[in-house]
Amino acid sequence: MKKEKVALTAEEKTKKRQKTLAAIKTHTGFYIMFLPVFIFALIFCYAPMVGVLLAFTNYNGIKAITPEIFVGLENFQKMFSMASFWSAFRNTLEISVIKLVLTTGFAVIISVLLNEIVSLKFKKVVQTIVYLPHFMSWVVVASLFSLILAPTTNGMVNTFLVSIGVIDSSNMIYFLGSNTWWRPVYYIVNLWKETGWQTVIFMATLSGLNTDMYEAAGIDGANRFQKMWYITFPALANTILTVLILNLAKIMNLFESVFVMQNDAVLSTSNVLETYIYYQAFNSGTIPNYGYTAAVGLFKSVVAAILVLACNSLSKKVRDGRGIV
Amino acid sequence: MIKSISRRDFMKGMAVGGVAIGSAGLLSACSSSSSSTSTSSTDTSSESSSTGETAAVEKPASISLMFDGTVVTQANGQAEFFEKLTELTGIDYDITQPDHDAYYDVLGQIIAGGDWPDVILLSSTYYSAYAQAGVIWDMTDVYEGSDLQSRVEASGSTSVVDGMYVNGRLYGMPTGRGNGCLTYIKQAWLDAAGLSAPTTYDEYLEVLEAFSNLDMDGNGTTGNNFGVSASGFIGSDSPYVNYLPEFYQDAWPSFYQQDDGTWADGFTEDSMKEAIQRLADAYAAGLIDPTSLDQGTKDARNKFYAEEFGVFTYWAGTWATNLKNNLENNGVDSELVALPPIAEVPYYYDRLPVTWCITTACKNPEAVFEYFISAMHDGGDVEFAWTYGVEGVHWSTAAETLYEGTDSEVTYEEGQFHMLDNLETPGTQYTKNHLDPMLELVAIEDDPQEETVAAEARNSQQTFNDNCKTVTLVPSTDAMEQYNGDLTTLKNELIALVVTGQLTVDEAYARFESEGGAGWSEQIVASLNEL
Amino acid sequence: MAKEKIDKRYVNKVHIHAFDIILIIFFVLLAFIIIIPLWKVLVDSFDLKTSYGMRLLPAEFGFEGYKQIFTNSTLYRPLMISFFTTIVGTCIALILCTLGGYVLIQYDMPGRNFCANYLLFTMIFNGGMIPTYLVLRTVGLTNTIWVVILFPALSVYNLVLMRNFFEGIPGSLYEAAKLDGCSPMGTFIRIVLPLSKAALASIGLMFAVSYWNDYTHYKLYITNSNLYNFQMKLRGMVQGSEMPNISGNLTENTLSNAAIIIAILPFMILYPFLQKYFVQGVNVGAVKE
Repeated sequence: MKKEKVALTAEEKTKKRQKTLAAIKTHTGFYIMFLPVFIFALIFCYAPMVGVLLAFTNYNGIKAITPEIFVGLENFQKMFSMASFWSAFRNTLEISVIKLVLTTGFAVIISVLLNEIVSLKFKKVVQTIVYLPHFMSWVVVASLFSLILAPTTNGMVNTFLVSIGVIDSSNMIYFLGSNTWWRPVYYIVNLWKETGWQTVIFMATLSGLNTDMYEAAGIDGANRFQKMWYITFPALANTILTVLILNLAKIMNLFESVFVMQNDAVLSTSNVLETYIYYQAFNSGTIPNYGYTAAVGLFKSVVAAILVLACNSLSKKVRDGRGIV
Repeated sequence: MIKSISRRDFMKGMAVGGVAIGSAGLLSACSSSSSSTSTSSTDTSSESSSTGETAAVEKPASISLMFDGTVVTQANGQAEFFEKLTELTGIDYDITQPDHDAYYDVLGQIIAGGDWPDVILLSSTYYSAYAQAGVIWDMTDVYEGSDLQSRVEASGSTSVVDGMYVNGRLYGMPTGRGNGCLTYIKQAWLDAAGLSAPTTYDEYLEVLEAFSNLDMDGNGTTGNNFGVSASGFIGSDSPYVNYLPEFYQDAWPSFYQQDDGTWADGFTEDSMKEAIQRLADAYAAGLIDPTSLDQGTKDARNKFYAEEFGVFTYWAGTWATNLKNNLENNGVDSELVALPPIAEVPYYYDRLPVTWCITTACKNPEAVFEYFISAMHDGGDVEFAWTYGVEGVHWSTAAETLYEGTDSEVTYEEGQFHMLDNLETPGTQYTKNHLDPMLELVAIEDDPQEETVAAEARNSQQTFNDNCKTVTLVPSTDAMEQYNGDLTTLKNELIALVVTGQLTVDEAYARFESEGGAGWSEQIVASLNEL
Repeated sequence: MAKEKIDKRYVNKVHIHAFDIILIIFFVLLAFIIIIPLWKVLVDSFDLKTSYGMRLLPAEFGFEGYKQIFTNSTLYRPLMISFFTTIVGTCIALILCTLGGYVLIQYDMPGRNFCANYLLFTMIFNGGMIPTYLVLRTVGLTNTIWVVILFPALSVYNLVLMRNFFEGIPGSLYEAAKLDGCSPMGTFIRIVLPLSKAALASIGLMFAVSYWNDYTHYKLYITNSNLYNFQMKLRGMVQGSEMPNISGNLTENTLSNAAIIIAILPFMILYPFLQKYFVQGVNVGAVKE
């Protein structure tokens, strides 16, 4: 490709242009089809994006956006000078990457196994049950698990551990109040709530699988594990990759699930960027500084962009030259 | 059906019947001697209250308002209420009422968007910030010397309004007193433990200890109850210490104005260190429910109803009735002692009230002050409507039986003032419209509150009012805006770590130094002292 | 044939594998673990008493929590609004994401990569709360029901997933359609959509769930409570009001747990019906004929 470009003569250029024009003509229908999507994105996503400029101001929501309020890189300087910001940034990356890998991984395994269930009725029942927790709000989930994990006789987990003799009753573990336990518990609760829902997309992908492949493999003498490994997993690879990379774009936005489960004692291990910003504004005892919030937002976007672009170029190797989008 | 007797007729009837209705009973404001009694200075014989009083300003044709869910909602008869208000004042009202949870988000959007309503309802945080940013109108000159001021004085509420001055200027009118939390103890638990209500910290600890060894939930094992529980070891906003006052006593974790007028950060004082140590000791001894760290207020309430613990510091006033009813519905003994502060606790804290403010976008602020803000506290019909709502929708004096066939069935005689069933949540009775009759700024003439407010609510409110002190309004400064968020987060984290035994007090204060907390605190104190 | 009870992949398998037994045990255990926390909510919603700990059965059984919600006439209007926004919103959202997804598989279309990046960019950058509000206000959507329908309708995430499904359709079918003289739109309607039932069902379900459960857009952009949906109303009940009311004969806990169950209910009922699309698979042959 590159070589050609260098060697293009004027004649070839016109030829190429004509070719492109012809291609545009044959694709007119597609451009029209894209128009609604284009307009929606323009109004609802691009128009508000001027807000990114607020990151360079000390806008407090009252002053008009005039040149006077521009403060240059002041917000970024403040942000980068705060130790709590960096700890929140590190926590965000660690928690969301691990969470993403775990939930996606478990969802894939559950989907593949669900796909193996012979009885359709049993399969339906199981599918319905695993996806139910998705419909509960995080506030409710947090309050439920606070009870189940409580370091008192109310807490099922601690009571169970006492009864099998792992711990004694005067030494119950405060799972949600301990910096050692908080993260593992957070991952487990996330798995409980979201794994089932994630299987929906994988199950839909699997349903598109041509059943002939299984029959053919059966005739070739493949056993079930071989079929799972050589047919089912590869069929999901594309979707898994897409889901992973798309979620990377949202990775820095972790908020509600952390916010409802965290408490003052575990801030050092659980505070993520969004909760950090929330406490900054809420605890300051004054109105929020939108400029600072926008600066953190812009920083998050840049990190997400780097992550997505890096993974996208990696995925091109897997998807013969095509990125995930 | 509901007979339509006007309120005045009903009042006359009550007077003839010899039923004395005192309105001053609950008015004694915090830490100010209560000398309020008669409201006779307010002439309520003119039907549309304040219209005749001041001729200086022209009555506005309409006023635009924005408020949160503490004013009657659409589903609860908002339309009828504002119709009534229009009838009383001759003014049209243009209303914006966002969802209660998102009120300040929406308010922020509208303030940024530029279409400011004439009048907005603000919490103390937004009040002081917006006052300093020029969003709300300085009403000092109009208020001082006004009829409203004399009515406020006559009702003994001067200190409530005084508490809202920012740098000597007033930008909004409080709805009433802010109210706060006091400690409730289950009488049945005290009886079972053979103790009486504590008056000192030692007695308080004794009660907690006894409670944690009782088997009040009747499951046959002791040691699974707790003395006290709360939502968080420290509150997320002022007055931070209000859910566990017996442990904090005279300690204050944030900025306050000392007697000589200079500012200080209470967190750095010895009283705070001692308070955290007391909490840590009680936690280690198993007297405090450990999940206080992470549970929400709703969980704490549910545990209280389910006999998980016996001492609960919660809102005074109407909540006393709410707690009692929930305990009753749960089939357990519902008698609660509203505890006056123990000897070591100087007072309970009265939260800063919400205020009605006029925006600087309002074209006729003097008129809006006169016909909206002042009228809301006219001591007469308008205030009555803001307090109790509309006859036939929110209250009635007709003979009727509510909740027939249920445990809470109640029958009212003809002429007996009572609140009606809630339109949005049937099965619950209205308690108020917007203004709380027990916290009112100006006493209503012929207030029926003795009829509508249950004895336990009045009792708890009275106990609270006799022993409370209003929180001081802390102005916001640049340093505050810069550092207070991180500072408060750090303070809360350190308190939680010490209480749960993960740090000692000394270690915590060493971290406070090393992580910059002490420095931020000094900068903020300095900036406050410069004001 | 149509009412087969066993997945056809295994029709020729006579004996049940040991693996099947393990699978069944695994999923029974899994279901059990998932249900335990839910069970607490269910039990509490039927329990007229507030119990804090876990319980197997209600202490005092009763339907009052549900009765109070279902007999509450102020909930009918929000319910209708929920149905309306969910149905209309899901349709619009599906149209956008199928159109966009279809365009994104036209790898030889000039500007195709621009389109892709144009969409990807919106996933990563956003303008924040206040600028978004100002734009919505400028286009006149605030305080109308359309803001909750149109604003969340474009989901790039789902659009890309949809494109993934479209990629799975054999290229030979497109060629055949082209030879038959089908326009891009014709191919889209006659070939692409009928072959994507599983995708439409699963992504449609995702949209429906997010429309049904939406409350953030309502509370930020609508101040007229007559336009609030069912979820907004339930949310108030689940959280329990901080403003006290003198209760009737119901503890606040019963009502809020009943509200949680009712919030789950619609999709618990709907899901089994959608599932047939997930197990059906693509029948390529039928379309070819």
